[in-house]
Amino acid sequence: MAQSSNPNEKKVSARVAVVAAGVVSPLGVGLTETVDSLRKARDCVTRVTRFSVAQCRCKTAGQVPDDRLLAGKEEGRRGHRLHRASHMMIQAFKEVLTQEPQFKPELTVIGTTSGGMSYGEHYYRSLRRAEELRHAPTWIANYPAQKPVIDAEEAVGISAPCQVIANACASGTNAIGHAFECVRSGRYRRILAGGYDAVSEMVFVGFDSLQASTPEKCRPFDRHRTGMVLGEGAAILALENLELAQERGAPVLAEIIGYGISTDNFHITQPNPSGVGPRQAMERALQSAQVSANEVDYINAHGTATVFNDAAEGKAISGLFNGVPVSSTKSMMGHSLGAAGAVEAIFCLLALQHQFLPSNINFTASDDDLDLNIVANETRPTVLRIVLSNSFGFGGTNASILMRSFKA
Amino acid sequence: MSLAIAGMGWVTPLGSGVDSVWERLLYGDEASATTISEEFNHRSYNVFRVPESVLKGAAHPRLRRASAISRFAAAAGLDALNAAGLKLDSQNVERTALIFAISNGGVIYTKRFYRDIVNEGAQSASPLLFPETVFNAPASHLAAILGISGATYTLVGDGAVGLLAIKMAEDLMANEALDHCLVVGTEEIDWLLCDAYQRWRLLCRAPPIEPFGKHKRGMILSEGAGAILLARLPRRSAAEAGEGSFTIECAHPGGYFSRRAEAEETLKRILRDLDQGEIDLVIASANGTFVDQAECGALRAVVPNAFVYTAKPALGESVGAAGLWQIILAAQALRSAELPPVLHAGSAVSLRLPLSRTPIARARHAIVLSCGLNQQAAGLRLAIR
Repeated sequence: MAQSSNPNEKKVSARVAVVAAGVVSPLGVGLTETVDSLRKARDCVTRVTRFSVAQCRCKTAGQVPDDRLLAGKEEGRRGHRLHRASHMMIQAFKEVLTQEPQFKPELTVIGTTSGGMSYGEHYYRSLRRAEELRHAPTWIANYPAQKPVIDAEEAVGISAPCQVIANACASGTNAIGHAFECVRSGRYRRILAGGYDAVSEMVFVGFDSLQASTPEKCRPFDRHRTGMVLGEGAAILALENLELAQERGAPVLAEIIGYGISTDNFHITQPNPSGVGPRQAMERALQSAQVSANEVDYINAHGTATVFNDAAEGKAISGLFNGVPVSSTKSMMGHSLGAAGAVEAIFCLLALQHQFLPSNINFTASDDDLDLNIVANETRPTVLRIVLSNSFGFGGTNASILMRSFKA
Repeated sequence: MSLAIAGMGWVTPLGSGVDSVWERLLYGDEASATTISEEFNHRSYNVFRVPESVLKGAAHPRLRRASAISRFAAAAGLDALNAAGLKLDSQNVERTALIFAISNGGVIYTKRFYRDIVNEGAQSASPLLFPETVFNAPASHLAAILGISGATYTLVGDGAVGLLAIKMAEDLMANEALDHCLVVGTEEIDWLLCDAYQRWRLLCRAPPIEPFGKHKRGMILSEGAGAILLARLPRRSAAEAGEGSFTIECAHPGGYFSRRAEAEETLKRILRDLDQGEIDLVIASANGTFVDQAECGALRAVVPNAFVYTAKPALGESVGAAGLWQIILAAQALRSAELPPVLHAGSAVSLRLPLSRTPIARARHAIVLSCGLNQQAAGLRLAIR
């Protein structure tokens, strides 16, 4: 592609710092628990109990335990009404604002795929059974995708406008990437960006109906991979103009240095087998960051463990990079959809801070068709400077971000 | 950064085509209500639907299985490109972004998909329907039709989402590698939505919508799409950006209100940020609900002398599409130098409402204001050269 025609290309202007982060996922509540789980390569996928999976091929998902999630539950009737997605977002926001109480965002950009979907399910089931619909207004009010964002902002006392991006499974990475571009362009100084999604019956059954989810373990890039498992979570990064962050003495955890987005118009659910969409997204992220593929030390792959996704992504990675370590952390917690890109960005942040390669667990055998250096089954200490995170979604939407460790 | 409106497309219950719908509004036409029934208890609701004849030309293989929401969007998006005379090819498609504004999304297929699960069990769930339930399905269809391979975003929110999408476009266009951004807002109707808004006490049983009335009778839901092609101003030639062209001078990032009683203050803040003392008219989002009182208070406090127009009595509340419709209305009012009558408004309303077709000869600046039903609010300022 001619450089001048790349829509991701732009003048390098402001540098963009990550000054705080918060995460809730099956791997833990907060950064400390999360890095511990990552280091131990824990398998956090468990049997689904929130709804019946008797007729589904897949019976498992990466779920945030209710007792952990609701430990920080808002007091009173209002807290009782909130969707579990709101509770996840509130905890992630609180972790960010605890680290950086002075962080005043001008905008919040959040990715999701399904908002408060389970409340929509309650509502429909109650209508159908002609049951008591006393709670319907609560379900309806807490269903919209922006509600968990507003709930979280209110819980921490901020009032930034919010943009909610729903680009399917790429939403979280798109949200961070768009926020990065907004700060880099100089139009904004501080933005909260991230994503959330909670496991719901409809989405669970949807992936099962596509035979995309597996009754077995999630084995990304494995020769014997049989599909994905779903996950859930919320993750937030506080992005700030680097100079301003340094002026006010904020800790810089890492930098975001590049973002690439592409749309491949092959099929609404399947990736182009050539891997052209993922490749374009990664190339554009590299161009945006003005770094070469050789400078990338680790790739946190989209790696859903479906046959087609991993084949297309693997082809794109091996075509562009030469032996870079790759892992899909979805093997540990499943695919958290709109949250995935944000959760995985935080995994990359922790990998940069603690200098290790997160593991691709449940790996049994290499796929002969994929020329990849998989970080199989255990974490590896290493020296990391630049890492790349991929997210791809339905509708052929592809996104990649690049992060760099920061030394003052 | 100012952006030019290079083309517009409109699919509404009053038909499609910007000039045609505008003409009908000027004549005081309003959409005809049709009745849809709830499937369990057979309650019925009045809605404003897009006439089937409107979509007859919008056939594309990619839309074969797509829901109405995607077909409305494709028709409006293609109209906007045609109006701008922009043919996307391998040269310019890389320099064009696509943003969708969505509120309730593909509710028809979502309900059908989940109904099968509830009625028959998970094994009967349709793998063909599931992809169409995803919020970005309409955007992916239009991206495929147009061959867009770069930035495609779907933004989700309430009735303010259309204006938030314009703000996002403004932010994206700060990237000088983009020349155009096509912004599309779209919505489809289903009885499930009517039931939900009814339980929330926001729906009226039958037309009319009475804007700014003393009694909040509620709204009538409608469907359709609006599309606006934005172009970077500096790249356009003087002739293109000459007399009669529109610019989005400022898109506000918006805000939210925790409680409905706080909506007025949020709207005042947005209006004050946008008002530069020369606002001739405001295209409001008043729809017969709590929104009207909030807008009325804010408008009286900040822009008391501006004309205020709302098309919702004529076109209904189209939620995800509404913001784009309002921008089209503002552009048409400035272009034609007149305003259609605000239908069914009481004469005692203390706002400058055009109760009949009203000339606005020297109007140059308009504000589009949107107060959503789910806590979001947004605005933008539009000018004609």
